[in-house]
Amino acid sequence: MRNRIAERLLAVAVLSAAAALAQDVPLPPGSVNFTLGSDSPLVSLGFSTRESRATARGAAMVLDLHLSIPLRNISPKRIRGIALRLVSQDVTLGGQASVSLTSLNVGPGELVTARIDRALIRPTQAAGGPLVEIFLDGVLFDDLSFYGPDRLNSRRTMTAWEKEAQRDRDYFKRVLAMSGRDGLGREMRASMARQAGVPQLDVRLQRAPAVGSAAIPQAERSEKFAFVDFADAPVAPIQGWAMVSGNEVRAPRIQVANRSTKPIKHVELGWLVSDSSGQQYMAATLPSSDPDLYLPAGKTARVEQDTTLRFSRNGRPVNVQAMSGFISQVEFADGKIWVPSRQNLDRDVLRKVLPPSAEEQRLIDLYVRKGPDALIEELKKY
Amino acid sequence: MKHPNEATLALHAGGDLGFIARWICREELAAFTDTREMIGDLAEVPELPWRRLEAEMKANIRLGLAAGECVRMEPARNQHGWFSFARAAVACASVAVLLASSLLLERPHPRVAQSRLVVVESTSDGIQMSDGGQALGLSNSGARNVIYSAGAQGNMGARYVDANGYVTVNNLYAQ
Repeated sequence: MRNRIAERLLAVAVLSAAAALAQDVPLPPGSVNFTLGSDSPLVSLGFSTRESRATARGAAMVLDLHLSIPLRNISPKRIRGIALRLVSQDVTLGGQASVSLTSLNVGPGELVTARIDRALIRPTQAAGGPLVEIFLDGVLFDDLSFYGPDRLNSRRTMTAWEKEAQRDRDYFKRVLAMSGRDGLGREMRASMARQAGVPQLDVRLQRAPAVGSAAIPQAERSEKFAFVDFADAPVAPIQGWAMVSGNEVRAPRIQVANRSTKPIKHVELGWLVSDSSGQQYMAATLPSSDPDLYLPAGKTARVEQDTTLRFSRNGRPVNVQAMSGFISQVEFADGKIWVPSRQNLDRDVLRKVLPPSAEEQRLIDLYVRKGPDALIEELKKY
Repeated sequence: MKHPNEATLALHAGGDLGFIARWICREELAAFTDTREMIGDLAEVPELPWRRLEAEMKANIRLGLAAGECVRMEPARNQHGWFSFARAAVACASVAVLLASSLLLERPHPRVAQSRLVVVESTSDGIQMSDGGQALGLSNSGARNVIYSAGAQGNMGARYVDANGYVTVNNLYAQ
């Protein structure tokens, strides 16, 4: 206890010195806390803050954290995903941060290293204590079982990533089986070309408080959504609209219906926007806002968010002319997750704008860095 | 007022007093004469209850003495109890208000007002959440082919493959 207080005082003293001298100083030990939990399937092998720096800039302090945290899997299962929640006690933006590792294949006793690169700008005058506290939010295993407090809905997010990963690995294994090494290479190069052609949109998000009539832009209009419907999706989009003003869109609302036989507790849509030239972009995902959503079979519900999104590209505003949406993720009440199939996503309108899944991104990277043989070896592991 | 003594009365009777002393003495003698006549009149009132009047007068005098004692005692008690409980309570409350005001004005935690808007966006090297005064960012560590994604509930993500070949997903959630 006494050591902990001394460490905190040391952290404050060092940071105060940095402010006073207006120069870089390394962060003292005790400025980062890492909590895994007593029954965690992971153990930390320690980490260092030597690469991290604190720099005074005027009345603000810039803290650059660079941490590599080696973690050992002490469970009997293979780990597919790890989510870490990062909390800064002295930054009161009201938000949270997370760093997740997905598409993992970490066997019992094996190591994985979590890399955290984080910048923090705060007033120079701040309280003592650790600058950052890191908590384990969840671990996903290969049988889709989960460990962790799940404060950030990591179980659902990582399960959806793993479902996409299984889908894409199966696809590339089929390509390998049907077309061999060359066919797999062609598929990888096609995927890279498609990824290079996906237009990236710069999105600026603002959680919108209740908008008074004086704050509503004069030119704002209500714009309807068009939908790409997947026949096998458990949820069908019915109708939707959002308020549009130039390159700004706010308050999207979409009516959906459960056409499956099971109750649903989470729905997420993909949201596309088109500019005046007809160029289409992936704008955002639109999840249901109600954490207690319960949508029985055959019933309807509304997916809505009170957020304002502003779009630009290469520093120039992208005015929104049209919008469309598609169901991108569904979680049933029993915890099972549905994600679109590759056939669903292979439609021209989606293929040109959607980024690859996390697993496809990893396999492309492996192909580029180590070649087709390493990729084939990797696919054989699953 | 001091009544004229026997010597003064003798000088007055002999006409040897000065003008002012003679005038004062004459006024006094006139008052004595009036009082003597009034006593004579009182003696002629047969129903006057002298005993009851005496008792009432004694009671009034005792009451006056007791009241006087009370008035005389109060300053003495205050002299010893200048740091009384009430004064101590007022002093403590004042100190507490002063401390609370100091903490409010100078507290080390710069608490952000709820009305300040938090913006989440991508930057040249990652994603950032800021409100103008404070900022929180996650860097991509110089990774290539970073895929950014926005969530309409107020989160921003950056996905890339790190140097170890792991897919890393950084996320910031504005709440």
